[in-house]
Order: sequence, then structure tokens, then C-alpha cells
Amino acid sequence: MFTSIENLEEQFCQQGYIADRLLLTSIYLSITLGKPIFLEGEPGVGKTEVAKVLAAILDTELIRLQCYEGLDAYTALYEWNYPRQMLELRMEEARGTDKATIGKDIFREEFLLKRPLLRAIQTQGDQPPVLLIDEIDRSDHEFEAFLLEILSDFQITIPEIGTIHPEHPPIVVLTSNRTREIHDALKRRCLYHWIDYPTLEKEISIVESRVPGIEQQLSEQICRFMQTIRSQDFFKRPGVAETIDWAHALLALGVTELTEDTVNATLGCILKYKDDLEKLQYEDLSRLIAENSNTES
Amino acid sequence: MVQSAPTTRTTSQVNLLTHLVQFSRGLGAAGIPIDTANVIDLCRCFSYVDISCKRDFYAAARANLVSSHDDFPRFDHVFEAFWQKTVDEAVNRVNSEDGDDEDSVRKIAKQRERVPNDLDEDLTSSEQQSSHIEYSPDEVLARRDLGSLNAEELKQARRLMAKLLAVIANRKSRRRTPAHSGRVLDVRRMLRRTALDGQDLCKLLYRCRRVRKTKLILLCDVSGSMERYSRFLIQFICALRHELPDVEVAVFSTRLTVLTPQLARHGTEETLRRFSERVPDWAGGTDIGQCISAFNRHFAPQMLSSRTIVVVLSDGWDRGDANQMRSAIQDLRRNTQKLIWLNPLLGNENYQPLCRGIKTALPHLDHFLPAHNLESLGKLVELLQEIWR
Repeated sequence: MFTSIENLEEQFCQQGYIADRLLLTSIYLSITLGKPIFLEGEPGVGKTEVAKVLAAILDTELIRLQCYEGLDAYTALYEWNYPRQMLELRMEEARGTDKATIGKDIFREEFLLKRPLLRAIQTQGDQPPVLLIDEIDRSDHEFEAFLLEILSDFQITIPEIGTIHPEHPPIVVLTSNRTREIHDALKRRCLYHWIDYPTLEKEISIVESRVPGIEQQLSEQICRFMQTIRSQDFFKRPGVAETIDWAHALLALGVTELTEDTVNATLGCILKYKDDLEKLQYEDLSRLIAENSNTES
Repeated sequence: MVQSAPTTRTTSQVNLLTHLVQFSRGLGAAGIPIDTANVIDLCRCFSYVDISCKRDFYAAARANLVSSHDDFPRFDHVFEAFWQKTVDEAVNRVNSEDGDDEDSVRKIAKQRERVPNDLDEDLTSSEQQSSHIEYSPDEVLARRDLGSLNAEELKQARRLMAKLLAVIANRKSRRRTPAHSGRVLDVRRMLRRTALDGQDLCKLLYRCRRVRKTKLILLCDVSGSMERYSRFLIQFICALRHELPDVEVAVFSTRLTVLTPQLARHGTEETLRRFSERVPDWAGGTDIGQCISAFNRHFAPQMLSSRTIVVVLSDGWDRGDANQMRSAIQDLRRNTQKLIWLNPLLGNENYQPLCRGIKTALPHLDHFLPAHNLESLGKLVELLQEIWR
């Protein structure tokens, strides 16, 4: 799949994902060892994007399971299609089929609704699919325990049908915003990586690769500003996703240089809490912008 | 730095393995839980990663052996100590009992299991101080308040508290479970039954939301003014642990100390014995704002979720910065399901929530309730049952 870490890096770059060596090594090992990768970090640092980019590079299906509290096996794995089963039942009865046979017939694969985990295991093709289990911290302990079982042997047993083995075990990417700690047992089965906010240089190259057509001066100003904001004590610090959004917004407005007014008008792109917006007072803003241009000159 | 890895390569493979195991033990000593399966996986990595490149080896080792962001600095310490110097030297350093005091690895290991002895002195001195720091005059409190219960009454109090906690803790889950009645049909079960005996869907089966224990966090004030309630506090924590396995306990006065790991390791009784040893500022002054903002900063991300109920047990006497306290309480409230403040002083008829701490916190609380005697606890149970039905 990937011949070396350098090869992986090159392909990630082509997809516009600028990653550091540590992350790339973890991804590379995750694929070669067949071990799930567990990505943790603040919101908007590009955790989910890793799975999307991987799927794009390998030209394979991205199967996404968004976690939430109360997510259960029926929603994650499979469910029987009850209305179809009922119809079949009625039709068979009308045909006068033996009752015992009907009972068996309605539990065939065609009556199965496949949910993400089953789809990931049943996918056919040359390449394994990428299974993204997103925001695992939103799910509850029951689901974590359930996942543990699936991730350890990648097979699913449906009592009426039998055990299903995958043709290629999927590449599994788990992400967490760390709103709560995930159980150790699950983490231990994965390669762990913490994605941090990027450095200034890295962020500039991310913006330049993600927002084509942006002036170098503007992208530098944007990233410096973001780095300053992140160093301050806000309730929700903006991530790289916000930087990119903001850059897009400024570009759309035809801005070539950060000024107090433009920043003020577009602050909603980066700070999304009322308190945070209040904290960033007008005078602070002018000071921040002045500082940024000073460091430039 | 990069030279260190070739040293390991020139030594035999067995040597590499030994070093690796020793390295993982070093991590273990520094407090990072190590799973042998992951060490084996790390060995498997060597077929794919050039371990003569320190950077890649570091990435592989960290991804395999560490599973929490908090452990990264500790890992880095051990990694540097182990691989930067010549390997053998590092092994000695980690293993040696009487090594250099500045040795970072041992320092961390030491920090993790704090020596209680030198804290004993702190304790006795703070006990002596406590009489000076005590804010609350005796006459404020009713006679049979929780600060002065005998053994039998304590037992009774504990039963009441268990009842109270059951009300606080039992919340309906989003998950459903089979039930005799309800609003949601259990089609899966109904169809199975139909297929089984060939009958029509004559019997309706239901699923209802099941009761799930809420996560509870207890923040206890152990400052001087609260010292007389320490026995009550102990009973409260006992009852809490009994009722709820998923509970985090932290105590604060001028600093915040989380006791949950201790409780998990030693059980309630033993921990309570060690309570005073571990908490450096037991019966000192109070800085609620700083403690709560420390909680928000360091523990809230892991401990708080929308289904968490935070119970603060404090009399609200505060010497800290009121602004800081306000924003800390606001932050805390935003991230929890309910914020409850239990106040032992509230039982007194003459008591007005005038002290600065309470005044600051009051607008942001879901419930501000008395917890001064058995009767008030009983009332509390009834009240909450009513509110949360």
C-alpha cells in the first residue's frame, strides 16, 4: 500500500494534508501492523480529515460511524428490516408455505440492514475500506465495550446467518475530542497519537495548500493572529479548521490585509462563544494586529 | 542523539529486546501503565521502521506504549534519559536505588507515591492553626448539627445520604430495555415471537428507557471553617462510593486535590485514613475560585460531561478573588447537568447567604441546599425527588 513513511508523506501532501513526521509514522504503522489508530486532540486540528485523506489516497470507501450517547449495536452493526420481513411473511402465508420454513426464511441476508461496522467488514474489493469511528468520546461505556470486541478480531457473528469474516480488515481510525477519557482497554488496542495545534510555519503551509489563491502576506497575518489567540485563555480555542474557514471568508471578501474592521466583521469565523468574543475587546484587537504587523516588519 | 540508536543495533538482537523491556519498565516506574502486548507490537514495528532513525523510533514507541496525552512529558523524560546517554548507563540510572536526586525519572516516580511522613508535620501544624482560622462561630450552628453526631446518628445519617444519592444519581438513560409497558414498541421481539409460533402480532411488547447512574463529582471544602464537619464529610463520601461506583472526589481549600485514584486503590476506609496525609492544606484557609478554576483547567475535560452532576460541599467562606470565582463557577455550570451546593450553615434560621463566596456563586447554582442536620437531609431527599420526577 505504502512503501515507506516518505511515500505516505508525499501522498498526504498531494491531498493537501500537511502532517508532521510523528503523525505520519503512526499512520504508517497503523496500516502496516493492521492496528487501529486512535487520534486525540482539540476540535478542528484535522483528526477526521486523516481518515478522509486516507480513503482518498487509497481510492476506497470511507465508512463513517458518528458516535453519540445511546449508540447501540443495532445502529452500529446491523438491524433486521422488519417491514420487509412482515411483507414476506404475509406473502409466504398466502402461498401456503409451511410455518416452520417461513420462520427460517425471513432471517436471510437480504432482510438485513447493514450498518457501518458490518459494511466495513463485508466490503469487497482490492483495497480495504477506511472505517472512521468519529468522536468516540460522545458514545457511552457500553458502546466502548462493544467496540472492543469488534476491533480485537474484526469478525461479526449474526446468530441467524453465521460468522462474517472480512476479505480485508478495514483500516480503522478512531477520533476523540477528549471530552471524557476513553477506557484504557480500548486505547491499548490502538496506536495512540495526539494531534496538537500546528506551529506557525506549518499552519501557513496548511492555509496555502487549502486556500488556493491566498496572498502570502495575508496567510501569514492570519496564522500569526490565530497563534496569538490560541496562546490566550479562551473557553474554546479555535482550531486549524477555523483558520481555513476564516481564510476562505477573508478571501471571499477580497481582503488583502488584516485590519481592525475586517477582523471584527469576521470574528464569528474563529470565536464561537459570546464570552470569548467579549473577552477579545476592541482595544485588544488593535493591539494584536499592531503586534502582528510589527513582527512582520 | 542520533548516535545512540546504532549502538543498540550493533549489539545483538537479544540485547535490543532486553533494552526494550528495561525501557518499558522504566516507563512503568515513571507511572505509565505498560501492556506487554504493546511492547510486542513495538517489536513488530521494527520490520517497518528504520530504528536507527531516532525520530521514527520515538514515534513508533510513543504510539505503541503511551495511550494518554498526559503521559507524553513523562514518556519524553524517560525516553531521553534512556536513549540519549549510552544505553547501559541509562539502565543503571533507572534501576539504581540511590541515584542522583536530580534524576528526572526517579523524581517523577517519587512524586507519584508521595512520602506521607513529611506531610504528617504539615498536618499537625495545620491542625494547630485551625483554631485560629476557624471562621464560623459555634452559636451559628444548631445543637445537633452534623458536626457533632454520635455513632448511632452517624449511621442514620449515612442511610439518609444513601437515599439522597439514589435520587441524585438515578437518571434515565438514552438506551432502552424490554419492558411491560411504555411508549416505544419492541418490534424486534414482537417479530421474533411471531416468527416463532406463527401467530399474528397480538401481544404488544415495549421498550422503555432504563435508569442509568449519573456521573457525580463531589468537591469538598476541607478548609478550617469546615473542619467540624469532617466526620460528616467522611460519611458522605462513604455513602457516595457505596451508591455510585462512578464518582470523582476532590477536596479543596487553598489548593485542589483529586482523591479518586486513592479511593480506587485503597478503598474508602483506608483512603480516609490517608486523607489528611495527602491533602497538604487540610484545615487551612479557602480559595474557592482558584480551586474551581484549577478543576476546570486540569480535570474538567476528562471528568465533566453533559450528564455530570457536580456537588459542592462548602460553607462558602472564601478569601480568594471574587471575579475569578464567578467566572470559574460559570464555566463549571456550563459543562455540567446540574450544579448543587450543599451548605452546612444554611440550616440556621439567622443565616443569610451574605458571605462573599456564596453571594458570588448563588446566581449560577441549580440548587443551594442545607446540609446541617438529619432533618435537613431528609427534606433534601424529598425535594429532589419532587423536582426530578
